[in-house]
Amino acid sequence: MIVRGREAWTGRVFLVLLMVATIVPFVSLFLTALHPSGTYPAGLDWPSDPQWGNFLTAFNAAHMGELLTSSALIVLGVVPISLLVATMAGFAIGHLKMAGRRVVFLAFVLGLTLPFESIITPLYYQIRDMGLLNTRWAIILPLVGLFMPFGVFWMRAHFVTVPGEISEAAHIDGATSWQQFWRIQVPLAMPAISSLAILLFLWTWNQFLLAIVLVDDPTQRTMAGALGAFQGQWGTDIPLLCAGSLLVLTPTFVVFLIFQRRFAAALLQGSLKG
Amino acid sequence: MPRHSRYRRSAIGIVVLTAALAAACGGPGSSSTQSADAGAVLTQKPTCGTDPVTLSGYFETGFPMTKALTDEFSKQFPNVKWDIREDQFAVITQNAPRMLADDPPDLMRLPQVSELVKDNLLRNLDGYAGVFGWNSWPASQLEQLRMKPGGGARGAGSLFAMGLNFSITGVFYNKTLAARIGMTTPPATLVEFDAALAKAKQAGITPIVQFNGGATGGFAFPLQNLMAAYGQPGPINDWIFQKPGATIDTPPNQKAAQHLQDWIKAGYFTADANAMDYAKMMSEFQAGGGLFMFNGDWESGNLDKQMAGKVGFFPLPTEQGGKVVTMSAPLTVGIAAKAKHADCAAFFLNWVATNADARRIAVQVGGSHPMGPADAPMPQIEQGTVTAATLAAGARIAQDNGAMDFIANATGSIYAKSWTPQLQKLFAGQQTPQGLLQSVQSDYKTQVGS
Amino acid sequence: MAGATLTPSAERTEVRPKGAKATGRAPRHGQRWIGWLFAAPAIAVYTVFVLAPMVQTVRYSFYQWDGIGSSPWVGFANYVRVFTDPELVGTIVHAFELIVFFSGIPVLLGLAIAATIRRIATSRLAAVARAVLFIPQVIPLVAAGIAWTWLLSSDGLVNQLLSAIGLGGVTRAWLGDFATALPAVGVIGAWVLLGLCTLLLLAGMSKIDPALYEAGRLDGAGPLREFFSITVPNLRQEIGVCVTVTVIAALASFDIIYIATQGGPGNTTMVPGLEIYYRAFVERQVGVASALGVVLVVLVLVCVLPIQRLTREES
Repeated sequence: MIVRGREAWTGRVFLVLLMVATIVPFVSLFLTALHPSGTYPAGLDWPSDPQWGNFLTAFNAAHMGELLTSSALIVLGVVPISLLVATMAGFAIGHLKMAGRRVVFLAFVLGLTLPFESIITPLYYQIRDMGLLNTRWAIILPLVGLFMPFGVFWMRAHFVTVPGEISEAAHIDGATSWQQFWRIQVPLAMPAISSLAILLFLWTWNQFLLAIVLVDDPTQRTMAGALGAFQGQWGTDIPLLCAGSLLVLTPTFVVFLIFQRRFAAALLQGSLKG
Repeated sequence: MPRHSRYRRSAIGIVVLTAALAAACGGPGSSSTQSADAGAVLTQKPTCGTDPVTLSGYFETGFPMTKALTDEFSKQFPNVKWDIREDQFAVITQNAPRMLADDPPDLMRLPQVSELVKDNLLRNLDGYAGVFGWNSWPASQLEQLRMKPGGGARGAGSLFAMGLNFSITGVFYNKTLAARIGMTTPPATLVEFDAALAKAKQAGITPIVQFNGGATGGFAFPLQNLMAAYGQPGPINDWIFQKPGATIDTPPNQKAAQHLQDWIKAGYFTADANAMDYAKMMSEFQAGGGLFMFNGDWESGNLDKQMAGKVGFFPLPTEQGGKVVTMSAPLTVGIAAKAKHADCAAFFLNWVATNADARRIAVQVGGSHPMGPADAPMPQIEQGTVTAATLAAGARIAQDNGAMDFIANATGSIYAKSWTPQLQKLFAGQQTPQGLLQSVQSDYKTQVGS
Repeated sequence: MAGATLTPSAERTEVRPKGAKATGRAPRHGQRWIGWLFAAPAIAVYTVFVLAPMVQTVRYSFYQWDGIGSSPWVGFANYVRVFTDPELVGTIVHAFELIVFFSGIPVLLGLAIAATIRRIATSRLAAVARAVLFIPQVIPLVAAGIAWTWLLSSDGLVNQLLSAIGLGGVTRAWLGDFATALPAVGVIGAWVLLGLCTLLLLAGMSKIDPALYEAGRLDGAGPLREFFSITVPNLRQEIGVCVTVTVIAALASFDIIYIATQGGPGNTTMVPGLEIYYRAFVERQVGVASALGVVLVVLVLVCVLPIQRLTREES
């Protein structure tokens, strides 16, 4: 028992240290954000005269209102389309056992490890030729495509576990494949779909490379891309930059706190599969 | 493992298919280069008209002059509104070709024009120059912005950009710290300057605050000032303008690089120079963190406000003193070839150089000499200010014909990809002065050659 | 669902490709073709926005192209440059050095931490910790880059702490120093990935049959032997996942470095992802950028496939 007690204590100490290390960068950001704009504060240092106004300045300088709208629109474009399309494909490959599914599935799986940087150059010219450069579609459409490997992989993993008897029964009832999919399979797949939704939301919101290459106007970008632009413009003013970074963090952070458990579960499962 | 091999066969199939598809197509891009517009002759001065116009601009962040100018312009011409995007200079450099090709702004701050002209991304301004009479301004103002349409060496030919004003670089010094080492007048020779550095070091004062971090190596400023102190501006300009056969690896430049290394070894710079960005340098200098700073007169207005009466300026003296040579470049702004409101943009550029209010802003807010005819009215400047000192130095340089372009402007990527990493290596003791110049020269050759 | 938080459920056994067994019965003939209708949208969007650009990348890599003008065919010259130009080779070397930090630290430290806190995994403190440790995974990497740039600057907290404990002599601008810039960037990556790895491994540990540990104790095994003979072997799959995820993060790193160092000082932190971006869009050497892009895809596959095989084969 003594051994166990000691182990538990070292465990607690470890945990606390780990949490401190995780949080310290944010504390540093926060304290720095309170210093007068344009100064170079030193490390962790509570300012004598906290400049709460910096957050308002950063909010206006970064056009946070427009940024939130833009990111939300991009997420609304990417996530529902990706979910629908990936679920249908997962259903086809995992449940309907379509002919040639092996090759199709493999083509998707090969895309799982693809670094976005490897296709960003042609993507730029392709989007330009489609006339979509500097619109939100320039981020939405490629992201839907880039999320397909994971989405299909994830949904197929769900559908291969669904017993065939369910569709057999539906067929006896005379339901078409579409009705069967929509009325029976999708409701059953809701847990898998909602976890996927969380992951796709996060990956879209935080997408950086596509945003900085394909869209110049920060107010048409994702949050991460906009933060990149904010750094490009205000990187010379450290307190303001820190305030802006915190503001950009806040929405994801709030959403994370609300759906904390679902997030954790989805992320862990997501990486196990990916 | 039959399943495994079946997967493998499919995988190989997919890869082979990809490669075959790739090889089957021809090369990307168009082989027909669009004809360069020759800057058609205009018979009438363009204006912004009276209908509402929104000019789009892409400018450098952190410099209030552009904002002051565009605001004043809208005040005088209320039908003109602005849609302005700002970024740090390094970001603009990265974005320039892409923006001009695919999202062309009417006015854009430009790093340098060579590649942009080659790719027909900039409007030829000869037509505007003709009707507005820009060609009768002192030729040195616009020399750096001239090029043969379609490419070639810079320095002569058609006009492809304009300046909002033109800046010079040199050495700013903190008068309070200078007094502590007994320096009451600017050093007259390089030897005197070296002595001042040594004295400051002994007195426990940081001799030079200079940025050299991130994507912009600020040691290019002292290096080129030293090049000017040891050599002639001509060969350096030839190199920057991409004249055939030009090299940066010359004996005077080797001496300059050696001298810079001596300063580094003597510990005259702050230890974290390689991590110091421009804004941090400004903040340290204003806080009294160092005696000297190599920078340009675009900071004069700012320093007059932040450290009124406490800052002086001088161009780095040559070995024996005398003739003054330094970097001087227009604050370059171009009009995209595909700009929607080119006429109005050109009208704005002409207004900046000739309107009395605009010229006052160029000097008081921008801190530099305005563009325009030699006899145009000069705004009044209070004596004893840094702005007065930089303007006086500018006049001196014009008289000595000692202006040269910035070595970072030789090609589109020479600054970020060659000077910056090499100067950072020099500071870290991982590059020799000879190696620095050789390496930059070899990068230059590949960049100019391709 | 809440109860299943850290148990990736039965789905994890489905990671391996399975045959027709799961449904038991062969599907009706018509369905085999209706399936294509269901899969068509996914195939279409994947083809247009992923496969086609990938084919284009391969195609560009055989030409010399500035993105605007004409483009002569240069065969494998771009690939020769990728493997001979010291700057380009350097980016690949740096990516592999980053693996040490992005993978090595999170996996090893994560294992140690998870093993230490295994016994208190159900406490309230652990529940809080679970939320906290996820934060770096949730925020944009750009923000992590900005926060750490500031921590590692010459006036930053890291130097403040070092000075406080009497190590003022080693303080420096960590991201601006030739010797420390790459490790410093690595530390940022390790910070981002440590929490995820720890929690993944902890979740794996919670599924190990406690009887195994009881048996070990009865045999007189100390914590160390317990760790190596019970914990690690049973975590084969989770370790494999951690390594895979982190190795890809290291090889394809972009966001953090773009923000923190832009590849400098010198070229000490230049990685393939950033180099592709610079070459393609700044220097406009689209051919070289594309060749590096193809090499990067191959590198990732070459690194990841063996890991998959090692961790999956015997489990």
